Amino acid sequence: MGNADLRELAALSTVSLDDVRGSVVAVDAHNWLYRYLTTTVRWTRDEVYTTADGEEVANLVGLVQGLPRFFEHDITPVFVFDGGVTELKDDEIESRREQKRKAKEKLEEALERGDKIEAARLESQTQRLTTVIQETSRELLDLLDVPYIEAPAEGEAQAAYMARRGDADYVGSEDYDTLLFGAPLTLRGLTSKGDPELMDLDATLEAHGITWEQLVDVGILCGTDFNPGVKGIGPKTALSAVKEHGDLWGVLDARGLHVEFADRIRDLFLDPPVTDEYEYDADIDPDVAAAREYVVDAWEVDPDEVARGFERIEESLVQTGLDRWT
Amino acid sequence: MFKAIVSASTLRDALDSVSVLVDECKIRLNEDELAIRAVDPANVGMVDLALDAAAFESYEADGGVIGVNLSRLEDIAGMANAGDLVHLELDEETRKLHIRIDGLSYTLALIDPDSIRQEPDIPDLDLPATIVLEGNQLDRGIKAADMVSDHIALRVDEDEEAFFIEAEGDTDDVDLELGRDDLIDLAAGPANSLFSLDYLKDMNKAIPGDAEVTVELGEEFPVKLHYEIAEGMGQVTYMLAPRIQSD
Repeated sequence: MGNADLRELAALSTVSLDDVRGSVVAVDAHNWLYRYLTTTVRWTRDEVYTTADGEEVANLVGLVQGLPRFFEHDITPVFVFDGGVTELKDDEIESRREQKRKAKEKLEEALERGDKIEAARLESQTQRLTTVIQETSRELLDLLDVPYIEAPAEGEAQAAYMARRGDADYVGSEDYDTLLFGAPLTLRGLTSKGDPELMDLDATLEAHGITWEQLVDVGILCGTDFNPGVKGIGPKTALSAVKEHGDLWGVLDARGLHVEFADRIRDLFLDPPVTDEYEYDADIDPDVAAAREYVVDAWEVDPDEVARGFERIEESLVQTGLDRWT
Repeated sequence: MFKAIVSASTLRDALDSVSVLVDECKIRLNEDELAIRAVDPANVGMVDLALDAAAFESYEADGGVIGVNLSRLEDIAGMANAGDLVHLELDEETRKLHIRIDGLSYTLALIDPDSIRQEPDIPDLDLPATIVLEGNQLDRGIKAADMVSDHIALRVDEDEEAFFIEAEGDTDDVDLELGRDDLIDLAAGPANSLFSLDYLKDMNKAIPGDAEVTVELGEEFPVKLHYEIAEGMGQVTYMLAPRIQSD
């Protein structure tokens, strides 16, 4: 989820997808899929993506609706899936599970009351990436020849690492945490209709006169996925405190505070578990017919729901761009 | 510095050729010509326009670049009668373009050129076939194709020495054959490419029916469409990227 407090510090600008035409974007797969699940689930009837066995595969609708945006702008997405759960994140996941359990209870109440709008809103909060969603997402990406990578731990960290090495031009995520993971350029809003937002790490550091390490320290003070943050410290206070005292330890000493596992959290951002073992083919050659069969026949998704998406994918494949000849 | 007088019809022909592809563009006010190069947002269709200084009644410029909203400028040009002269003068201080047409004065706010999409590089194309035909003939083929499909094949048959405009619809087909005698000129070569009619229709709209159109074509290559405006003192070249042909 990351900490939205970082938005106050981030250097952001609006770009159009045309501006990033031809680029490679390492997409935080869970983050991207989750966005589609919450919006797809919120606005469509669940019959369209539920199999006769009761298995929900809204992710397939999300993929078919979301991928054309990349293809139409000649952007290669490389989806980076999360690996194992980082130990320190257990608390966060546990509390998210707890939130979902509560949302589910409220959902049942809302359904009993017949409050459909509230029910739809709560339904979206109970979504999680099931094993079926994990597997079918990968299988559909295979059929569409879209590259994906398995991160050893955090997908975001792996995506940021690939961008730092120059193997991706941008990281695609809604999370401001990509800044802490050292992603040089992040595209936010790839799942929404309008222009995306470009988040620039160097410009952020320059604007505040701090280093990447100091930004991580600011993040830890405000709270991250791995720690709750220090009560009463917001981004502005954290920034001036880190600048005044040099680093996290300086701030903690000066204020007589303690952040549990602070050194390990710092390492998770500055030196996270990532792999060099990734290879991908940016030349995408989807088998649209097979993908359609997979979604519509094998997983019983309402054909009308994905017709336009597949059409857009097909169209984006047959029309070439003039840049191919320059 | 930019100060020019131009006939309304020349200005309209020039603007039309660009506005079918983009809403905003940069105009280069070079010493010897006015030049525009623009590509549509999807990078599929491109226009390269040059209007020589001689195409104007009078022309003074020193190499500046301005950004304009084309539909606004076209609306203003549309206020003129065909024979009217349009006076254009750039106010460097306010970055506005003063336009005068027969007593009517219009002050057009310009757009920051840096906010407009970069001018594209011209594709490096060496196309094996060249067909020269009348704008009307091309128009006829495009209109017919549009009745049955949303894409169109342009093809040269080297043995028959003929140019074909073809479209395959779901149910109906259209085929226009233009032999050497129907054409103004033909340099036959291996050429067969498929294009989106949406784009070609828009480009065709800007091509005058009596213009001599030079079509350069290859196999699964972009097509180049070239024609002249302002009695040969203006040059327009369109480039359109092909669709990949399915078997």
